[in-house]
Amino acid sequence: MRGIDELDHYEMLEVPRGASPGEIDRAYRMAQETWAEGSLALYSIFEKRDASEIRARLDEAYRVLADPELRASYDQSHRATEPLAIGPTPTATIAPAAPDAAAAGRAINGAARTLPSIDESARVARAAEAAVTRVFEEDTERYDGRDDDAGGEYDGPRLRRTRLFRGYEIDQIADVTKVSGSHLRNIEDENFADLPADVYVRGFVTAYARTIGLDPVLVVPSYMTRLQESRQKNSRSRFLGLR
Amino acid sequence: MISSTHPAGDSYDATRSVARGPRLLAVGGGKGGVGKTFVTANLAAALARAGKRVVVVDVDLEGANLHTCLGVASPQKTLADFVAEREDDLGKLLIDTPLANLKLIAATHGNLADAQPSHLRRVRLLRGLRQLDADFVLLDLGAGAHASVLDYFLVSDDGILVVQPEPTSVENTYTFLRAAFYRRMRLAMVGHGVRQLVTVAMDQRNERGIKSPLDLLREIEATDTAEAHRFVETMRVFRPRLIVNAVRTAEDVKLGFAVASVCRKYFGIETEYLGYVNYDDEARRSVSMRRPIVDLRSDADVSIYLQRIARKLMELSPAQASVQGPAPTHTPAPTPPPAPAPLAPGISRG
Repeated sequence: MRGIDELDHYEMLEVPRGASPGEIDRAYRMAQETWAEGSLALYSIFEKRDASEIRARLDEAYRVLADPELRASYDQSHRATEPLAIGPTPTATIAPAAPDAAAAGRAINGAARTLPSIDESARVARAAEAAVTRVFEEDTERYDGRDDDAGGEYDGPRLRRTRLFRGYEIDQIADVTKVSGSHLRNIEDENFADLPADVYVRGFVTAYARTIGLDPVLVVPSYMTRLQESRQKNSRSRFLGLR
Repeated sequence: MISSTHPAGDSYDATRSVARGPRLLAVGGGKGGVGKTFVTANLAAALARAGKRVVVVDVDLEGANLHTCLGVASPQKTLADFVAEREDDLGKLLIDTPLANLKLIAATHGNLADAQPSHLRRVRLLRGLRQLDADFVLLDLGAGAHASVLDYFLVSDDGILVVQPEPTSVENTYTFLRAAFYRRMRLAMVGHGVRQLVTVAMDQRNERGIKSPLDLLREIEATDTAEAHRFVETMRVFRPRLIVNAVRTAEDVKLGFAVASVCRKYFGIETEYLGYVNYDDEARRSVSMRRPIVDLRSDADVSIYLQRIARKLMELSPAQASVQGPAPTHTPAPTPPPAPAPLAPGISRG
């Protein structure tokens, strides 16, 4: 298998070498939609930078292949240096798929021509919907760590266990959440006395939970109940003690 | 063990059920409510109507309702009996359905505490499934990317993902694929160090900056070429299938191709777009009538799509080698020309 940076122009557009200009047009249009900003197929996996790199490479591939002269000289210069083996059979992983894409282009062609602005608004609507649902759905189901996702009460030790199980370090969480490591450690150790006011802790725990892939909706109320109960108990005993 | 060329169609299935037992299909998809059970029940029904001997198994122990979709009222014997070691012979759990050729192993919402089989029990379950007297065994997986769900998916000949055209479903599909892929790789790697590396890579924010399977391969290549070779071989046979359910527009249809393209370019994983199923109120009604729509109204648009997918499955050779088996040395046979082309009835053009 090869990385995106190792794919040639044909492989980028997922068309066979002998593709007709029409096929190349269709494949490019299809790819443009797939890799467009806000594309549903890219949801959740892409960092902006990655997608724009791929878009740039697609544009370049199309620029060359759509121009008969450029394509001819590209074919010329690439024929000699063809199989540059990385894995055992480099082209094999890409090649079988190519006809798919071509046929996809064909299949969709009729539809694509008649898909104008409605799509655009649908995409905007989807992006909006995505923003809303993401808050609730984000990272709730990850890897094997779901073993510990099962509901019930979330206390400090359980948060810590989940974090370790999923392979996160405190420092990493601090980097992502901008919450100091000592606060995070106090949350795990339930050093409630050393933590700031409830409203801050709520924010910290939300960020922590989200970072390690737990659903804040499950974690935060449960944790905050523990914190508040402990604080009430302490303030009562301090009050009694002073007397 | 695994031959390099399969004749397509009936003769293939015939030799198969004698030599290797039934072909095992797992239908999953990460998210709940995307129509896994609906698709499973109908693909099973479509295969049965095409003359195949089919067993559907509800391994969604926590949300079991496959029996309802197939019109079997609260089953007496269920998979829970096997899990709890009250019954060792899966064959005795088979329940007849109203459809000829189609049998069911049901699950019930029993006691959740003992719902998840132990690892050993799961291994025995999978062995038992392979020994069932059938052409196809379809597993209806539960939601999520829990280890047990992933294992059913990975040991099957074909792992099928059902995705709906909505962000949450797409996201869970990728989450599931990633989790399944890394789990598969961890099993395939031999050396302790390399396994550790795979585990590190599973965390998307790992400190080594491994973001994709390709990055991981580069790291492995740098340390151990034999493992890297195994990695590439395993990668090649890891070929999940994709079904887009509840499609309403041409845009939705294209989602399957787009996801396949993203998987190929970004993850380096080849997926096979099996086809799509349109959104249909009649399909919903069929669930409340407790009959698969392909049986209830085989000429409905939904049924046509579902039957097309079933046909395609029969034509395709199995995608994945089983986890226990030796790494196959052949390249998967080139798949026949792809998914559904014409925008068939019932799908609006945008």
